[in-house]
Amino acid sequence: MDYLIHLLILFAIYAILSLSLNLVMGYTGLLSVTHAAFFGIGAYATGILMAHAGFGFFTSLIIGIVLSGILSFIIGAILSRLSGDYFVLGTIGLNYLVLAVFTNWYDLTRGPLGIAGIPKPSLFGVSFFQNNYFLILSLAFLVITFFISRFIVNSSFGRALKAIREDQKTLQVFGYNIFSYKLAIFTISGALAAIGGSLFASYITFINPASFDVMQSVFILAIVVLGGLGNLKGSLLGALILVAFPEFLRFIGFPSEIAAQTRQAIYGLLLVVLMLYRPQGLIGKYKL
Amino acid sequence: MKAIETKNLKKHFDGVYAVDDLSIKIEKGTITSIIGPNGSGKTTLINTLSGMLEMDGGLVVIEESQKLTKIKPHETPAFGITRTFQTIRLFEQMTVLDNILVVLTERQVFKAIFDKHTNYHLKIAEELLKKVNLWEKKNDLAVNLSYGQRKLLEIVRALAMKAEIYLFDEPFAGLFPEMRKIVVSVMEELKKEGKTIILIEHDMGLIRELSDYVFVMDSGKLLAEGKPEEVLKRKEVIEAYLGD
Amino acid sequence: MDIIPQIIVNSLIAGSIYSLVTLGFNLVYGATRFVNMVPGVLAAIGGYTVYYLFNQLGSNLYLSIIAGILIAGIFGYLSDHLVFRKLRRNKASNLVSFVASLGIFTMLQAVISILFTSQFQSILDVTQSPTTYEIFGATFTWIQGLIFITAIVAFIGLALVLKKTGFGKAVRAVSDDEEVSKIIGINTDKIISWIFFIGSCLAGLSGIFIGFDTGIRPTMGLVIVLEGATASIIGGIGNIYGGFLGAFLLGFVENFGILKISGEWKPAISFGLLVLFLLFKPEGIMNKKK
Repeated sequence: MDYLIHLLILFAIYAILSLSLNLVMGYTGLLSVTHAAFFGIGAYATGILMAHAGFGFFTSLIIGIVLSGILSFIIGAILSRLSGDYFVLGTIGLNYLVLAVFTNWYDLTRGPLGIAGIPKPSLFGVSFFQNNYFLILSLAFLVITFFISRFIVNSSFGRALKAIREDQKTLQVFGYNIFSYKLAIFTISGALAAIGGSLFASYITFINPASFDVMQSVFILAIVVLGGLGNLKGSLLGALILVAFPEFLRFIGFPSEIAAQTRQAIYGLLLVVLMLYRPQGLIGKYKL
Repeated sequence: MKAIETKNLKKHFDGVYAVDDLSIKIEKGTITSIIGPNGSGKTTLINTLSGMLEMDGGLVVIEESQKLTKIKPHETPAFGITRTFQTIRLFEQMTVLDNILVVLTERQVFKAIFDKHTNYHLKIAEELLKKVNLWEKKNDLAVNLSYGQRKLLEIVRALAMKAEIYLFDEPFAGLFPEMRKIVVSVMEELKKEGKTIILIEHDMGLIRELSDYVFVMDSGKLLAEGKPEEVLKRKEVIEAYLGD
Repeated sequence: MDIIPQIIVNSLIAGSIYSLVTLGFNLVYGATRFVNMVPGVLAAIGGYTVYYLFNQLGSNLYLSIIAGILIAGIFGYLSDHLVFRKLRRNKASNLVSFVASLGIFTMLQAVISILFTSQFQSILDVTQSPTTYEIFGATFTWIQGLIFITAIVAFIGLALVLKKTGFGKAVRAVSDDEEVSKIIGINTDKIISWIFFIGSCLAGLSGIFIGFDTGIRPTMGLVIVLEGATASIIGGIGNIYGGFLGAFLLGFVENFGILKISGEWKPAISFGLLVLFLLFKPEGIMNKKK
């Protein structure tokens, strides 16, 4: 039972990450391999503020969202003039840069040593220390993220994002300033990802730069692609499958040192197979 | 009144002038055809007027008042300009209905997030799509329509802009006669409403039938202009086409 | 100021390694037109093959190196044969091919981790002091000298092949326009297979050299791809000469850059450059603006 709760919490965190990435990749058609950077900002904001400065969870969450929003705004502004291959390269490079900051700004982040002893949240005196309470908190945030995403996707803004994905040059001629749309969704996506980061930091109670590298971005990308681009429920499905799988491996006795690498090998292979035979993923509405 | 006018318009690619010192005047409320052999610069002209290519020189004047040396694509609707494309450019993996709704709804980023299409928009979309028999297919993806239906959808998308100046780039190409009739009636209706149409076409019959005025381009320059019957008889025009 | 010659030497070594990566990268990009992550993991495969054969099994060093190059080449060839060729047939977009390459990269990197652990390994025994040479007050080892010479030879060799041989002409034709090449009778699939093989051998070789110079770890591929892509874009993507130039430029900028900034920030220099070029001069130094 405890194990199931643990899995569900991880599912909720990754579902938040994949929903937010889907907004940028599936709906707007921007192949972004830097989502772990925003995940990391949320995590470090919470980690630093809670463990080193005594802030509460919800305050540090909001600060994390704002910081991540600012970073994604800046990254989005830099990258939104690029297209296709160059945009992707740019995102990878920027992920790497952010990671370098996490690793080298020792005074703030304690570098590779990471930040330990991150407390669990408490609200009105109720502590979320118990995992079932934390699960409820995580699911609540997942639901909020889902509804925000759905609201965006069903709005006129959401329709314009899809048109940007299809043919942005043509959309311009019909009166749309596509740069501001791309920048807006990139910012929103980054801000939402920070929620996942805060939950992650507080749940695992320890964070270090290794959790926010390019491979993590690739993992989140794999979830989105597997579940299906352009379908929010697909992101939930993808997260469920890819989070449950390695835990399943561990359950049937796979040695845990290589469970993580086995998962990586599997989702690497999965990406290849999907691109060859089913680029729209399981329930996607759009093919890359 | 001149709806749109170019003065010494220039556009080059790596030194080769696709539009070379072009000065033309389009009268409001008319259907004007731009004709010429392949590579004469007609589509480049349309691309420049719609802001998709940057002007390299010259001036574009809208309604005899707005003088433009630079046209940004997303500003063209404000000048009353809209267009269709020679190679169809629809939003392929979106529905027919969405292709229309996206040009009807709020453009401003922050407002658009809190905006959703209304029954009013749906009514306009219905009226327009029924004109071209596409309302029953409103939930089909654009990529799944037939070629003719896709061309008609592009035209209707332009109509939804309620523009003043319509740039149609080979709207009749590849259409069966029944669909051609629909496009002709659309254009005649626009003309009745006082709108201005600039048409790139190759079919001489349609040009004679529809146009009030014709410009002939060759190698980026203006070769001839005038009323259709007169221009199409001229020696230089015939030679330009034969020499192609 | 006495360290300047040393920095120059270091830059030349770094540039040499990058140039092996860019030669392969540009060769393949020229023909396939998508950003390919696989060369990164092929470098790791090259390095780990040598590590396995030489360090773990005790085989002859030179044979191990040749094996490393060939195995990397074979994996690269297979990636084309099994994956990228099919994607070309399906007329898949560049982004799809990129994601597929990302998948192959991720998968192979994980397999290397499983087989060899995630630890950092060096191929040559660092306790044995290698023969060093001195030039203008800077020192370098014979390995580093070898790296430099190999890079020059590889570049000249490749340039000659491309210019003078029938194969080279076919490669240039396919890079220019695959469709037209097919029409005039070139077996484009075969040419592209060879391009992958050669490019992958070069990638494997770069990994082996990195192994000699510093060491190997399963995750080494990402930085290699990024540095390679940066150098290629700086020099002019798809352009062999540009890649060579960009590689050495990058080597110099990085090594002179760490005079001012501490060494860990070195990647920040390269990726800062990458972003700058992508924004302001994406065609690179040697290509014409499209």
